[in-house]
Amino acid sequence: MIRSLVYCIVFATGNVSFASLAEEHTNHEVRANHAHASHRQSSSAPPDLDQREALETPVYLSRTPKIDTALESGGEPVVVKVLGVVCEFCAKAMNRTFGRREEIAAVHVDLDSKTLNLVLKWKGAMDDAEIDRLVARSGYKTRSIHRGSVVLEGRHAPDPA
Amino acid sequence: MMRCCIGLAALGLVFAQPCFARPVSYPGGWTVIEETDRQVTSLWVHYTLTPKWSLGLRSEWDRQQDYLFSGAQVTYLARRWFGENYQANVYGIGGIGFANAVGEGASQSNAAGFVGVLADWETRRWFASYRTRYLEAGRVGDNILQSLRLGFAPYEGDTGDLHTWLMIELDHRPRNDDKLGITPLVRLLKGAALLELGWSLTDNEPLLNFTYRF
Repeated sequence: MIRSLVYCIVFATGNVSFASLAEEHTNHEVRANHAHASHRQSSSAPPDLDQREALETPVYLSRTPKIDTALESGGEPVVVKVLGVVCEFCAKAMNRTFGRREEIAAVHVDLDSKTLNLVLKWKGAMDDAEIDRLVARSGYKTRSIHRGSVVLEGRHAPDPA
Repeated sequence: MMRCCIGLAALGLVFAQPCFARPVSYPGGWTVIEETDRQVTSLWVHYTLTPKWSLGLRSEWDRQQDYLFSGAQVTYLARRWFGENYQANVYGIGGIGFANAVGEGASQSNAAGFVGVLADWETRRWFASYRTRYLEAGRVGDNILQSLRLGFAPYEGDTGDLHTWLMIELDHRPRNDDKLGITPLVRLLKGAALLELGWSLTDNEPLLNFTYRF
């Protein structure tokens, strides 16, 4: 019995190469989306499907009263698409991890859009690498990071009527 | 017996292949977990050291085999799979402490330890988990547990909403008279609190689990 349990643990932990590949794949996405966040496409090769989706899918800031207050104070909006956000505990982990940082004016995890919504106290208060690191520290993975007024346009678009 | 254990453990890993668990939260986070099922009542407090490791204190009372275990438990997040709409995890657990026989005339006590594997896969609609654990307490006894849980959320709640899950748990305890247990339950999750209420159809015993994250 003990032997079978040890075997299972070794089996679960032993697939290092697969884990490394998965990590590399995610880093690739993050890099690709950093390019999107700054409106640059640096690679000469055509983007793969995931990259294209990240580049083409509009991402909007989820609004809460705290988010709105922070924006009114001049904060920079940031939307982070996160992989694996499926439950309330996921939201709590990121709310706690980011909420402790002094650069963050407001934080909200939206389960419906699977996004981490931030308002930084000032423009550039936290770079993409640090956001990526804190998402990983919360136990999740960054898919893409989007900054600036582009994430507000969905809400602030003029009413066609 | 061993073949059966390996088979069920492998089944758990298969469930985990395409795809999360609760014994490790975020660094600096504390979690309190109370669990009462058809056989065991336990209280567990753990602190998450890193995104992969948590360390805690555990006390459990096996009401059928009449022993009380008290000790430390370490949990290691071995693998986590992420997707747009799912998360899955495989954890290894280990614990060491003392077990004391309880009940009329009981006086035995012994060093005790346990090892186990937890695996889960979860979307916002579906949930599957498997766990197996072997506890050895020398003269006081031993305990083997395997359980499989399947769940369905009738609606998808957003952040801050009350999340409701309907689940069924099948457990296999080869040391028991009733080796196979069936327990339907309801999981309610809101904010930092999780409550599970169920009833063992096998033993007519309640299931009451509560988790709170700080």
